[in-house]
Amino acid sequence: MSTQSYFPVPPGVGMEENFLSLDDILLSHERLPVRTECSFPRLGFLERSSDAHDIPEGTKMELPLWLSKGLYERKRKVLSVDLPKVYKEGWRTVFTADPCVVDLHKMGPYYYGLGSQILHFDSPENSDIAQALLQTFIGRFRRTMDSSQNAYNEDTSALVERLDSLEKALFRSGQNGLNSFQSWEKGQASQLTASSLVLNYRKRKLADVQT
Amino acid sequence: MDPSEVEFLAEKELVKIIPNFSLDKIFLIGGDLGPFNPGLSVDVPLWLALNLKQRQKCRILPPDWMDVEKLEEMRALERKEDAFTPVPSLYYMEITKLLLNHASDNIPKADEIRTLVKDIWDTRIAKLRLSADSFINQQEAHAQLDNLTLMEINTTREFLLDSLNFMFKLRSNLQPGSSKGQLTDY
Amino acid sequence: MFCEKAMEMIRELHRMSDGQLPAFNEDGLRQVLQEMEALYEQNQADVNEAKSFGRSDLIPSIKLRHCCLLRNQRCITAYLYDRLLRIRALRWEYGSVLPANVRFHMSAEEVQWFGQYKKSLASFMRSLGEGEGLDITQDIKPPKSLYIQVRCLKDHGEFEIEDGTVILLKKNSQHFLPRWKCEQLIRQGVLEHVVS
Repeated sequence: MSTQSYFPVPPGVGMEENFLSLDDILLSHERLPVRTECSFPRLGFLERSSDAHDIPEGTKMELPLWLSKGLYERKRKVLSVDLPKVYKEGWRTVFTADPCVVDLHKMGPYYYGLGSQILHFDSPENSDIAQALLQTFIGRFRRTMDSSQNAYNEDTSALVERLDSLEKALFRSGQNGLNSFQSWEKGQASQLTASSLVLNYRKRKLADVQT
Repeated sequence: MDPSEVEFLAEKELVKIIPNFSLDKIFLIGGDLGPFNPGLSVDVPLWLALNLKQRQKCRILPPDWMDVEKLEEMRALERKEDAFTPVPSLYYMEITKLLLNHASDNIPKADEIRTLVKDIWDTRIAKLRLSADSFINQQEAHAQLDNLTLMEINTTREFLLDSLNFMFKLRSNLQPGSSKGQLTDY
Repeated sequence: MFCEKAMEMIRELHRMSDGQLPAFNEDGLRQVLQEMEALYEQNQADVNEAKSFGRSDLIPSIKLRHCCLLRNQRCITAYLYDRLLRIRALRWEYGSVLPANVRFHMSAEEVQWFGQYKKSLASFMRSLGEGEGLDITQDIKPPKSLYIQVRCLKDHGEFEIEDGTVILLKKNSQHFLPRWKCEQLIRQGVLEHVVS
């Protein structure tokens, strides 16, 4: 194990974002289906399908989460936000029936993160969505844990591929614990090693030279 | 924590050695050591025992529990009980590894002991995983970690804490209005 | 859509998740600032119009542009901050002298910041241990012994150890050296720690 000294700002997870987290900035770039409840003059160019001057009221379009959050107001509605299909009832039933079979990477990859963020827009289904997120996580927990703990010599790439981005982060912390214990067992823990950062730089430099 | 740091803590545990040299008592910040007389057993911290052993200045006496019969009993009990059974030393894993790697000639049936301790460890880690799963499943608020050792907790700490944090956030989502102030993140 | 350039800069950093420092994207930063200026000017014009001619229908568009301004601000702040975290890590991985190819990727302000970080770390370390000083970048793992066996992975030239002896670090040569003297060279991949 080599020591790593770069600690990025962690994502907020749940309803609050971390302002400086790169993960959260990427998450909040996910697009949501929205419908405009008023017209947006002089911004027609934002909507690709038209060349009108304004975005008229009642336009259905996709906006990133950050913009939907910024424009959304409970009192004076300028925007209504529709649920992405993975959070709708049909999919929720599939998730709760057997959470392990779903490919959350393809469905997400920010299934939990985006799902928590969607709760900001008062949908009557909010409590069902929150419940589905929690139950899905619990239902998949054993698999996430076991794969991260047993995976040392087996190929788990197929399984890991189907994890949500936060599950992947959990998988990595599980692997860290296991790997550092196993390298201690083999007597490698007290060996000083080159910084992985330095080695990666060298690899990149070599690649630059070759291209 | 890195396992090498846990091992460092384990090296403060006392073991008995039989030195083959004489030396008056020495006074260190961590406590007094010695006096050392050839052929007379004396308690020293593990780090010193290993250092003396490597320089062929002593013979290490294995701790009482490092015995095939006793370990077999412990393994049977560990496999039978659902809860974690008491361990002979809070650093049983580290002490076993250090002594077997550096002083195996002083330990009778070293290979058998290595296997037994590894079996006990594996059984306990499997239990730890099982209890983590039921902990998450039943959404418990606290868990009893009696008889777990630092090294055992250490292998799963990061994963378990991250999981619990994550579950806590998902559970807070269930409380409507838990964080419904201004939406300030853009 | 607005804020695309800012997102591109965030993705660029995110792709290098191991903490490597990509070249400072000066051009990207300039483009984002230009977009922000345009958004601000457009909003100023619309705000004036809304006030003078009672055009309250312009308000949703003003708000939208304002959100984009704040989003750009967030992305750029996060970009700069994350780079500082990476630059700070370099001090611990490489030591106080960075190789040219790494330094080359930093902006002038970042080079300056690195210098200041280096200084405050050094003065903190000097203040430890009742004036004796303590190098806290050494012995990250508990040392097992004061001397260790090392092998040279490349020619590094002459190297002076504490008693004044000079040894030649030649590729594939093996040496028995004070641990604290080699730790940094091992981290840099010049020496390899040989464990028996």
